[in-house]
Amino acid sequence: MEHGRHVFRVLFVLLLAIVAIVLGRALLIPKSYGLYGPYRFDNVAEQASVRPPLHGGAASCAGCHADRSKAHAAGSHKVVSCEVCHGPLGRHVKGGKVVAKMNVDHSFTLCARCHRKILGRAEKFPQVVLSQHVQSPLEGRVCLECHDPHSPKL
Amino acid sequence: MDENGSTRREFISNAVKLGGGALVLLSGASASGENSAEGYDWEAHRYAYLIDTTKCIGCGSCVRACAAENSVPDGFFRTWVERYVLSAEASHVDSPNGGKDGFPPVEPGFAPTKSFFVPKMCNHCKETPCIQVCPVGASYRTKDGVVLVDAQRCIGCGYCVQACPYGSRFLSPSTHTAEKCTWCYHRITKGMKPACVEVCPTKTRQFGDMTREDDPVRQAIEHERVAVLQPQLLTEPHCYYLGLDKEVR
Repeated sequence: MEHGRHVFRVLFVLLLAIVAIVLGRALLIPKSYGLYGPYRFDNVAEQASVRPPLHGGAASCAGCHADRSKAHAAGSHKVVSCEVCHGPLGRHVKGGKVVAKMNVDHSFTLCARCHRKILGRAEKFPQVVLSQHVQSPLEGRVCLECHDPHSPKL
Repeated sequence: MDENGSTRREFISNAVKLGGGALVLLSGASASGENSAEGYDWEAHRYAYLIDTTKCIGCGSCVRACAAENSVPDGFFRTWVERYVLSAEASHVDSPNGGKDGFPPVEPGFAPTKSFFVPKMCNHCKETPCIQVCPVGASYRTKDGVVLVDAQRCIGCGYCVQACPYGSRFLSPSTHTAEKCTWCYHRITKGMKPACVEVCPTKTRQFGDMTREDDPVRQAIEHERVAVLQPQLLTEPHCYYLGLDKEVR
């Protein structure tokens, strides 16, 4: 009789432990964990909507700037999307409203990033050594004084 | 009395906090019912990325676009560009600020016989070392082939950062969780291209879907001689390179 009570106590403690483990597991493991593998599936949707896209893409500018886009598409910079030089659309337009002026960079640096002659660039890519390109090299607006950035071929 | 009042105040504020916590838990539970992005079927896509190194001019537009699009902290990179200046005897490799500001002229101190740029990023491997080492199931690969990090589960142990043979992960200085290229998952699930592909002026970077037969990237992978980085590791990267040099790891 005495021994029977001991066995009952042990079984009771064991049962409590199992209930605690099952409950604890259910509470601690996220709901969608393990649906498709050892990860929280809800995170896939969270990642898909983590932030609104900032870059609008090549076509998005033409909606408001059709004539500029047309001129750009006819020039030798047609493969260069607007946002390469002007920065992301999301800093200019938010929810269909203009929130800030689009960045217009007149600097030598902007052109130099692609067209300064450096090691690494393919020979056939148009590159410039400033001292050999113009007579009195001026930093700043020097490129844009002669070249139209949207169609730079003279 | 005064002391009593303050403990009561504490009790009430704690109770409110607990109640708030319970509410957050409840709302979290109800939100988890809707689990995929609206109108997007992840089984209908299998993404791949193609990098034609012969076209890269090292302008760094991709690095800038990535940083802006994904709010990448300064000094950390989800994608970067490396420059290789090589001769038979010597080599010079640099990536100033990840190539974000472009590349300055360089004097390597030897007569180079070839030089080129190589854009790098997460390779979105099929057999990823990074997922294998994650102790909490924070790193995973989606059905459409993108390797992602669940920042909520990540404990910031940094195992994955060390495990990645391509160096494409880092611990975010603000959240202290692992961060990496997501192929702009918030864009591609809406039918857009990753920001780096969107701005690449030379079409060095291309993004495609292997489930579509006429996809240019799939066509290139099927018909051109493409390579992957460090194939000996059997990680099965899904970033494919054209014109890759033996010196590039």
